Amino acid sequence: MNYNRADLLDRLASEYVLGTLHGAARRRFEKVLVESAAARAAVQGWEQRFASLAASVPPVVPSLRVWTATEARIASTAASVAAGRGSPRSWWSSFWKPALGFAFGAALTIALVQLMPGAFVSLDELAQRQQALPQSYVGLLLDREGLPTLLISSTRHGTRVTVKSLRPVAVPAGKVAQIWALPKDGAAFPIGVAVPAKPPGSTSFEMSATSEKLLSNVTRLAVSFEDGPARAGATPGEFALIGPCVKLW
Amino acid sequence: MKGREFRPTLSAVSITDSAQLQKDLARVALGDRAAFARVYQATSAHLFGVALRILNRRDVAEDVLQEAFVSVWHHAGSYQAASGQPMTWLISIVRNKALDVVRSASMRHETAMPMTADGEEMEVHDERPSPLQLLTQATEAMAIRGCMEALDASHRQCLALAYYQGMSHSEVAAHMRAPLGSVKAWVRRGLERLKKCMENSQ
Repeated sequence: MNYNRADLLDRLASEYVLGTLHGAARRRFEKVLVESAAARAAVQGWEQRFASLAASVPPVVPSLRVWTATEARIASTAASVAAGRGSPRSWWSSFWKPALGFAFGAALTIALVQLMPGAFVSLDELAQRQQALPQSYVGLLLDREGLPTLLISSTRHGTRVTVKSLRPVAVPAGKVAQIWALPKDGAAFPIGVAVPAKPPGSTSFEMSATSEKLLSNVTRLAVSFEDGPARAGATPGEFALIGPCVKLW
Repeated sequence: MKGREFRPTLSAVSITDSAQLQKDLARVALGDRAAFARVYQATSAHLFGVALRILNRRDVAEDVLQEAFVSVWHHAGSYQAASGQPMTWLISIVRNKALDVVRSASMRHETAMPMTADGEEMEVHDERPSPLQLLTQATEAMAIRGCMEALDASHRQCLALAYYQGMSHSEVAAHMRAPLGSVKAWVRRGLERLKKCMENSQ
């Protein structure tokens, strides 16, 4: 072959990135890549060239299932990675699961009993449970007919939010259920995307900061259906669900 | 994004967004899920478009996109801002995963069928721009269209089919009803020309 080494490397890199280098030749080149910085640089050069070609491909919005499945998969690793690293979050992650699980049951009871006294448990039982309740923020979101639909809860110093479905939420295809916090004064801001479970199931998501930081001045929570997770500073669309957010202490 | 029109067909992620994307990827490397959601929101439609072109099936392309983003979550730490645009890195992840899938025999059979059946390009999806049109648009945007058009259309067509549809040499040959040896040479010439044109335009 009458290529000098650099030319050959560049040619192999180009066909490797293009995808036309295959079979045994591809595997051989992958071995070269591990050892050769020059080969890696050549590949990077071609990746950049081809990325410019990709710019003309029309974007297509994937269905929501991709995001929900991806989120579910990283959620399971996020907790174990944090625990493995021994980060400050790790004791929380081992704590909040059982704690929030319990808080959740109790919070649900309280929130619903406040709305519909006597419908669920006796006040005695409630008082008993209340003694063990960790400090939490709880939001009860109602649909347009005023029916309790989602119960949103998070411990005061935690970042994980649990979303319990009380009634089915029909998220339109290609949309996500974006949760917004509505402060006493000021504009609504996004806190995360909920993937409502089939009632009475619950799902959860992580906020960028603790409930205390984000929600201490928030009086209401709401859900709008957006094309994708809203960015900070975004304006919400029409609210499908809205309701009070209260401190549970 | 303020004061600037969003041009999804040619610039899925603007330069401003690219800086934000770099920051977000750095946060993803630290396990920041809000940053991960922002990366997904900013890039998923463009990346899905790329995967769908190669795979031709929504369900399979969605699986590939999911695999790619899980990989982004785990490997964001290995992305180095100095080594290139974040979008370049993301596109490479998606393309590699899509090519892995498409090279598996069963999948290739299904994706190749609609394109090779009539020997003409893209009747099945004729509402979409053809690979050659995509290449023309991209080179136009890079101001190297003239330079690239010094090549025979068939050579450009080979490059476009291999890049946008993820076709192998032999699939390109079957699609174009041309000898395999010629196709290999044409693809190589296309690549050489592309590199030269891009170098000259810098």
